Amino acid sequence: MEKREVIKVTGLPIVAGFRWSVGKMMEKFIKSFADKKIIAAKCPKCGYTYVPPRSRCGKCYTKIEEKNLVELSGKGTLTGYTTAYVELDGKGIFLDLDNPKVIGAIKLDDSDSTIFMPLGEIDQKNVKEGIKVKVVWKEETKGEIADILYFKPAR
Amino acid sequence: MQRKIAIVGYAQTHHEADPPNTREGMVFEVAKGALDKAGITREAIDTVINVSSDYQDGRTISNLFLVMAEGAYLKDESKVEMDGAFGVLYAMMRILSGTHDTAMVVGVTQGSIFSPHQISFYTLDPTFDRQIGLLNDVAAAAIQARMYKNKYDVSDEQIAMVSVKNLVNATSNPYAHRRIPKPTVKKVLNSKLYCDPIRELNISPISDGACALILASEEKAKEITDAPVWVKGVGNCQDSYLRDRNLLKLESLETAAKKAYKMAGVKDPPTELDVAEVTERFSHEELMIYEALGLCREGKGKILIETGVTERKGQTPVNPSGGALGADPVLATGLVRIVEAAKQIRGEAGKYQIQGVRQALAHGQTGLCAQSNIVFILGGER
Repeated sequence: MEKREVIKVTGLPIVAGFRWSVGKMMEKFIKSFADKKIIAAKCPKCGYTYVPPRSRCGKCYTKIEEKNLVELSGKGTLTGYTTAYVELDGKGIFLDLDNPKVIGAIKLDDSDSTIFMPLGEIDQKNVKEGIKVKVVWKEETKGEIADILYFKPAR
Repeated sequence: MQRKIAIVGYAQTHHEADPPNTREGMVFEVAKGALDKAGITREAIDTVINVSSDYQDGRTISNLFLVMAEGAYLKDESKVEMDGAFGVLYAMMRILSGTHDTAMVVGVTQGSIFSPHQISFYTLDPTFDRQIGLLNDVAAAAIQARMYKNKYDVSDEQIAMVSVKNLVNATSNPYAHRRIPKPTVKKVLNSKLYCDPIRELNISPISDGACALILASEEKAKEITDAPVWVKGVGNCQDSYLRDRNLLKLESLETAAKKAYKMAGVKDPPTELDVAEVTERFSHEELMIYEALGLCREGKGKILIETGVTERKGQTPVNPSGGALGADPVLATGLVRIVEAAKQIRGEAGKYQIQGVRQALAHGQTGLCAQSNIVFILGGER
């Protein structure tokens, strides 16, 4: 393929600041990381438990309220995984990773959702579906998503 | 359906990586091409549905500048920002409402403008998954592929056979983008590893391309052409966000297919479908698609690929054109599948024509791990 000239134009790239409201339950979820707690929303009708919490259950079409929040243990089961050898650079290019990252699909105990989190303190050859894992927190937590470092095998 | 609807014209670009063409040029080429194919002029089109993406095109109201190129100047025009096959559903609704007799659907994506993989990252929940920053379409598909492999004891070789079948098929399709001389399982398994077990040749290419098709009511279709391709059935279904979905099966595709089969009167898909054109963005996905479409039982997709059932000479050929692994102009891809299925019915597929096609299936999808799916059943004489 012939390499063509790229002419830089003004007004690009666009920088847009988005100011999302996360909602009360999500706020509580993130803030409770400060106390090293993971909370979930349990549907009062069908019992399906969402983590991160959601305020509407799409499975049975019911409103979930703050009183329906439950605390999880931070332990769970690895239901799937991949080792990522590349990572997006934010501009759409896949860059090679010097240290491949293991991404785990984790079903936390007493919840029904699957969360996709980094795995750590584990040899790649020991990563297997069905193993028990638990959350590893930063030493000093502030109530932000970065408080969760990764999940590691649970004894 | 209240009225019968037929496909009466179509055109697609030669899909490529970053060709020296503009969105406007591509849209004009296929819209004009579809009109010429139908032997009509733009005056004969009652409504135009544009299929494009603001994110993908880097501009808001992405159809705004394409109105003239698609022949919609001072006409009834609106947009669908999902796979092009959903645009066809919208166009059908306008004809079924009785207020329009003809409709043109035009889909376009230039993957070279901005990477569809980066856009997949923007489909993630911004308040959680995007903050963690690990997932994208390839990583999510890799987790799914691994789960599927483990659950049903599927090998990397069996998954690679899907890539080989479709890439071999693509070599005889003049419109296909990815042309690899003599694709083999070894070449697939030696291609660059992205997210284990997914390699470069397990992923659809980033293509630039456009596709247009013209639909007409029964009366109009018979005026326009002697070879209408009838829409006999359509079904679509939406699954939940990635976190609350069973990744081991394509449940929304299964539901969409059942709806389309019911409308078309298809009772035994493996014997009643003469060919299928499906949107497989990853090669393992095609095995899962076989299962969701009822071509085999759950977990048995590997047997279809191993025994050649879905090869061009097999009982139910799947993607004789090369499918999405052969060319993936994202939002136009589902439209291309419908056009390729229509070509098979009209006997216009050239080197990859399947003999005696009377009934064909076409599939489009949108979202991570095929969250939303749509299925069309097309047929010939009626």
